[in-house]
Amino acid sequence: MTDAEVTACLARARDGDEKAVLEIFHYMYPHVAKLVQANLPARESAEDLVQQVCVKVMSHLDQFSGKVPFFHWVSRIAVNTCLNQIRHEKRRPEVRLADLSEDEAKVVEHLAASPGELDASDHVASKELVDKLLAVLRPDDRLLMRLMYLEGRQMDEIADLTGWSRSLIKVRAFRARAQLRRRYSLLMKENP
Amino acid sequence: MNPLDDQLNRLFHAASQVKGEPLAGPAFGLETRALAAWRSARSVETGFWDVATLMRGLILASVIMGISLLPALRSVESSDSTTDPFADYLQLTDSTVSSDDTQ
Repeated sequence: MTDAEVTACLARARDGDEKAVLEIFHYMYPHVAKLVQANLPARESAEDLVQQVCVKVMSHLDQFSGKVPFFHWVSRIAVNTCLNQIRHEKRRPEVRLADLSEDEAKVVEHLAASPGELDASDHVASKELVDKLLAVLRPDDRLLMRLMYLEGRQMDEIADLTGWSRSLIKVRAFRARAQLRRRYSLLMKENP
Repeated sequence: MNPLDDQLNRLFHAASQVKGEPLAGPAFGLETRALAAWRSARSVETGFWDVATLMRGLILASVIMGISLLPALRSVESSDSTTDPFADYLQLTDSTVSSDDTQ
């Protein structure tokens, strides 16, 4: 669907056309699902959250002013809903080597032993290890690290998605990165 | 670069290669729920008895009430200024005196 088609569809929806509303719903669903899944590690809550975001978008559809692209608007609702969900999850105080699975411990060893990129077979364990490391961060910092390093989003994009200023993003990124480094160095010290 | 930073970068890079299993599609009933949410939001916005309309109605009603009371207040004021507040009392006293005389 092009931008013009989305605008036309939204106009029809504003006039009360339910078919247009359903078209918008099916158009945005994959985008919302992808965004929520990327920002929430737990799959079960991701499905619930996708539903929550879709219902929220639909109930505010008539309030969409068109000042920003439709996807930006939807993305911001999705990211803020994810952030609220993350805030409800408990933070883990720390990650210890003993808490890691065998594969995750192997990833730590590989990283320390060789300077090259990790093998494809280590990717899943790396993801799990990153999830555990991120779990010690504050919710806002956790979301920021995901957007920056796992989704590779740029500063402007993150500002659009979260509504945070560029300077706030920089401060949070610096703080979160420092904390991650500290946690990771503790893991390395435990690694014989 | 700090070796720890380098290791973290490689770790994040490896983790970012993992693509989550995509959700199969909208859950059963989600389409209906979304449509219902849109309908109910719309009915609130376009409904007659919404708060904004009620407020406007109340303001209009009080303005009309004020305007309609204005002539009545004016007439009360004008009648107060022309009549003597003791006139009725004096008349009553006069009538009492005259009735005493007749007896």
